[in-house]
Amino acid sequence: MESLDPRVNRLQLSQRELTSKAPLDQLGTYEVFSQLRDGKPYFHVGPVHAPNREMAFLFAKEQFSRRQTCTGLFVVETRKIMVSRFTEGEDTVYNYIEDSVEAEEGQENSYELFHLKKRGKQHEHIGTIECTSAEEGLSLVKSEFINEKPIYNIWIVKTSDIEFNQEEDKIIWNTLPDKKFREALAYKAADKIKEFKERSL
Amino acid sequence: MINQEALKELLYKMADDQLILGHRNSEWTGFGPLLEEDIAFSSMAQDKVGQSQALYQLLYDLGESDPDTVAFMRNADQFHNSRLVELPNGEYDFSLVRHFLFDTAEALRFEMLTSSSYPPLAQLATKIKGELRYHTMHANIWIKQLGSATDESVSRLQHSLNELIPYALGIFEPSPHEDQIITEGIFQGEELLKDQWLDAVTQLISKTSLELPDITLINPVFGGRIGEHTMHLQPLLDEMSEVFKIDPTADW
Repeated sequence: MESLDPRVNRLQLSQRELTSKAPLDQLGTYEVFSQLRDGKPYFHVGPVHAPNREMAFLFAKEQFSRRQTCTGLFVVETRKIMVSRFTEGEDTVYNYIEDSVEAEEGQENSYELFHLKKRGKQHEHIGTIECTSAEEGLSLVKSEFINEKPIYNIWIVKTSDIEFNQEEDKIIWNTLPDKKFREALAYKAADKIKEFKERSL
Repeated sequence: MINQEALKELLYKMADDQLILGHRNSEWTGFGPLLEEDIAFSSMAQDKVGQSQALYQLLYDLGESDPDTVAFMRNADQFHNSRLVELPNGEYDFSLVRHFLFDTAEALRFEMLTSSSYPPLAQLATKIKGELRYHTMHANIWIKQLGSATDESVSRLQHSLNELIPYALGIFEPSPHEDQIITEGIFQGEELLKDQWLDAVTQLISKTSLELPDITLINPVFGGRIGEHTMHLQPLLDEMSEVFKIDPTADW
């Protein structure tokens, strides 16, 4: 595999006849959810590419929480999110959820429920459901939401598929506040350009 | 009354380490192995520059020149950083291993400094705990991941580890004021820090396929703390201060 970075030279380690098939040179995606303040719901903020959950969390922290307050962050592999259809107008997506779904064999698991309350906005974490399948879970909560303001899309994820931040790692969001050099705003470029122009007149 | 000379020497070497490594790591901006890592590594480089600025501010409060002058107007032989941080970047494995070896020591050093007898330093150490926690988390996860992934990743990391360990031991080059620094409670000393660092590094490395070289057989690379540097530092300083030196009085 050739690296795109001209400074990287690949080591030629394997000289055997048969080698394993190289996977695509692309990483999978993970969806990131963040909480801006304690007690507020988590919102979906976007995806990151990563080789595993742990590294997805690592990237998500800088990607999505370095410029604003954050009190919690979690990531889940994109394909582990079960997604409903989209609806519009007064048509809530719960109209298409079965009234009852038979529990599957085996024990109950925790699932996390997310609602899209406005098209073009972010999915919001609503709560946790104990159930044997995503389908059963949605049927269990249908009565609670069917007569409320319309929901346009649902995401539901098994809790065990989610990588949460460790409680003791929450200090990663306490950062030095005095770093204005990070922000373009702090350079007041417009003022300086104006001043420069006036001087050169 | 705290021994000012000893305190300043400690602050200078810590600040210089962070400024120089911050600058080196920032050279990866735009060249990172993937976009997300590019952002994370660049952001940590900015943290380091910010931390060095906070330390130069403590020095300013002790009567030294202002942070910008101190950062941009000295020559290489006036810098007290360890040689580890000035080495030029190679491939990414080199920078990751240096990041791991340095940041492990840095986080432990500031942890000790939270109980420093010099209150402004103790307060700063507490304030930057969060940033340092992320930096070590980042280093540890990467080393664990690549340290046991493929033959190529293990071999690359091992090679960088062998090359960098003598330089990393240079972080702990003893100060001429070591005794005062310890007895006055400013800092618990380089020797104790080195022991803690070795424990932490050994523990993490043991979770990978990497092997830590026997450090009792290695001569540490000293000199940086007394201004004796490699040929690589001065070009870095020239580049870093290029804009500043065009007009040191410019208002940013």
